Amino acid sequence: MKPTIGLCCKTWLAAALLTSLGVQADTLRIGVAGPVTGPVAQYGDMQKIGAMMAIDRINAAGGVNGMTLEGVIYDDACDPKQAVAVANRIVNDDIRHVIGHLCSSSTEPASDIYEEEGVMMITAASTSPGITEKGYELIFRTIGLDSLQGSLAAAYIRDHVQPQRLAVIHDKQQYGEGLATTVRDLLAQAGTEAVMFEGVTPGDKDFSALIAKLKRNNVDFVYYGGYHPELGLILRQSREKGFDAAFMGPEGVVNSDLAAIAGDAMEGVLATAPKSFDQSPDNAALVDAFKARDEDPSGPFVFPAYTAIQVMTQAIEATGETDPYALASYLRSTRFETTIGEIGFDAKGDLTEPTFQVYRLHADGSKTALD
Amino acid sequence: MHETTLYVLQQLINGLTIGSTYALIAIGYTMVYGIIGMINFAHGEVYMIGTYTAFITIIGLLTMGVGSLPIVLLLALITAVIIASTYGYAVERVAYRPLRGGPRLIPLITAIGMSIFLQNYIRLAQGSRDLAMPVLISGGIEFGDPAVFEVSISWMQLIIWGVTLVAMTALALFISRSRLGRACRACAQDLKMTNLLGIDTNRIIALTFIIGAALAAVAGVLLGLYYGTINPYIGFMAGLKAFTAAVLGGIGSIPGAMLGGLILGVTEALTAAFFPSEYKDVVAFSLLVLILLFRPTGLLGKPEVEKV
Repeated sequence: MKPTIGLCCKTWLAAALLTSLGVQADTLRIGVAGPVTGPVAQYGDMQKIGAMMAIDRINAAGGVNGMTLEGVIYDDACDPKQAVAVANRIVNDDIRHVIGHLCSSSTEPASDIYEEEGVMMITAASTSPGITEKGYELIFRTIGLDSLQGSLAAAYIRDHVQPQRLAVIHDKQQYGEGLATTVRDLLAQAGTEAVMFEGVTPGDKDFSALIAKLKRNNVDFVYYGGYHPELGLILRQSREKGFDAAFMGPEGVVNSDLAAIAGDAMEGVLATAPKSFDQSPDNAALVDAFKARDEDPSGPFVFPAYTAIQVMTQAIEATGETDPYALASYLRSTRFETTIGEIGFDAKGDLTEPTFQVYRLHADGSKTALD
Repeated sequence: MHETTLYVLQQLINGLTIGSTYALIAIGYTMVYGIIGMINFAHGEVYMIGTYTAFITIIGLLTMGVGSLPIVLLLALITAVIIASTYGYAVERVAYRPLRGGPRLIPLITAIGMSIFLQNYIRLAQGSRDLAMPVLISGGIEFGDPAVFEVSISWMQLIIWGVTLVAMTALALFISRSRLGRACRACAQDLKMTNLLGIDTNRIIALTFIIGAALAAVAGVLLGLYYGTINPYIGFMAGLKAFTAAVLGGIGSIPGAMLGGLILGVTEALTAAFFPSEYKDVVAFSLLVLILLFRPTGLLGKPEVEKV
C-alpha cells in the first residue's frame, strides 16, 4: 500500500501545477498512448479513433460531472524504451488517466510507472497474460487474453462437437503449443482423451505423412494450434488424400490467406477469434458515426478502446471522483454496459468475460458466428 | 491386407514422392561437385525461382483464359526450365567463373552470397508472403479395404513419379550416350587433361549448371503444384535436403544422388509414420551423420583424390 502522505503531497503538487499552468479545472485530460509512428502505427490508429470517438460523444452529451474530456495523444512507436519515456511524460504532464499502451512489450514497462505514480491505465490491445500477473491495483484491460481462446475452444468442442477420436496438432511455437496444450488438458478433464498430440515444423510443406497417420487413427476432429500457412496446407492435402475430419484453430488461422491456400477445403473450419463488435446490432449507430468521420470501425482495437473510455467515465460519474484508486475499486466491484457487451473486471484487472467467439469459416473468406 | 502393411505402403508412397523431388534437385549439387569440386549453395534458390516462374506462368495463362490443363502445365514447365537455366548459367558466369583457379573457399563464399542475394531479390520483387495457387489437379486412386485402411495415391503423386522418371532417364541417356555427355564425364575425371585435349571446359561447366538448374526447375514446378503454396524461403530447406541427399548417395555420383533422394524421402515419411512428425528432420539428418561416419564417401561415392 502507498503511504497516504505521499499521495496527499502528490495531489497537492498536482493542484499547484494545474493552477500555475492555468489549465481549467473543468477539463479532464486523458492520455492516449500507443504507436503513432512505426511499423504498427495502423493498430495505434484503431485505438486512437475508438478513444477519440468516445471522448467526442461523451463531450457532446454534456461531459462527465460537468467536466469536458480532452484526449492527449502520446507516441510510443511500440518501442519499450520510448514507452517508458512516454509514461514519465504523462506523469509529468499530470495526467492521471491513460488509455494504452498498445504493444504488450510497451505496456509492461509503462504499467510499472503508472502503478507507482498513481495513474490509472486501461489497455485496449495488450493481450500478454504477464501484464496483469503482477497484481497491480491501477492497471486494467478491455481485451481478452490469448490464452482464453483455449478454454473457449475446449468448451465448444465438449458441448457442440463431441468428437469420438480427437487429435491435437500444434506448430511447436509458444502461441500454438500453449493453446493446443490447454485444449488437450481441458478436454481430457472432460473425459475426451486425444488419441494424437504432436507437433509439426513451422514452414514445412509436406504433411502427407501426418495425414496418413491421422487417417490411420480414424481421427474425426482435429484441433490445430498455430498459424494459417501450415493449417492451410494440412487442409488442402487432407482433401487430396480423402481425409475428411473437421478442423478447428485459434485466431492465428483466421486470415484471408487461409482461403487462398486451402481453397474449398477450408469450408466449415471452426475458429476462435475476437468478436466483431462492429457487426453487433447494438453498435449500429456508433458504426455510422465512425463512417460519417470516414473512419474504419472494423479494427479489433476500436471498440475495446471506446469501451475503456466508457468504463472510466461511468466510474467517474458514479463515484463523483477522479482519484484513480477510488475508480479502480469501483471498476472491480461493478458491472458495466458497454459497446463490447456487459463486462466486469476481476481482481487482476482482466475482463471476466471472454471477448472471443467461435466462428465457422467459409471458403469465400466470410465467417458466421456460432454460440 | 494387414492394416500396418497398408499404412506402411501409404507412407512409402508419400516418401517416394518427396524423395524423387529431392533427387531431382540433388543432381544439380552432385554434377557441379563432380566436375569443379564446389558446392553451389545458390542451387536451392534456382529451384525457388523455377517455382515462382511456374506460378506466374500458370496464373497468367489462367487469367488469359487458357483453360486446357495439359497446355498450361507444359508451358509452365517449359518457361520454368528456361528461366531457371538462365539463372543457373548467369550465376555461374557472374559469381563462379571469374574466381576459377582461386582458393576453393572463395567460390563457396560467393555461392552463399549469391543464395542470399537471390532470396532477397525474389522477396523484394514478389513479396515475402506465401503465394497460393488454386488446385489444378485433384483426386487420385484409392485401394485397400476402407474398413481397415485406404491407401490413396493422388494423380499429382503419379505425375511427380512419371516426370521424375522421364527426366532421370533423359539425363542418364544424355550422360552415357551423347557427345556432350561424354565431355561431361571426361571433365569429371580430369578437368585439366580434358582441357588439354581440346574440349572447352568452361562450356561444359556452364552446361552442368544449366542441366542442374533445369532439373531443379522441374522439381520446383512439381512441388509447387503438389503443395500449392510458395514463398521466397523455400529454396533454403529444399536445397539443404537435396544437398543431404547428394552427400548421402555419394557426392559427385549421379546414381548416388537419385538413391540418396529416395532414401531421404522414405526415411522422413517412415519416421513421421511411427514417431511424432516433428522428429522427421532430426532422424533424416542423424542418418546423414551416421552414414558419413561409417562411409565418408556416401553410399555410391568412390574414394577420391583431392580436386583442385
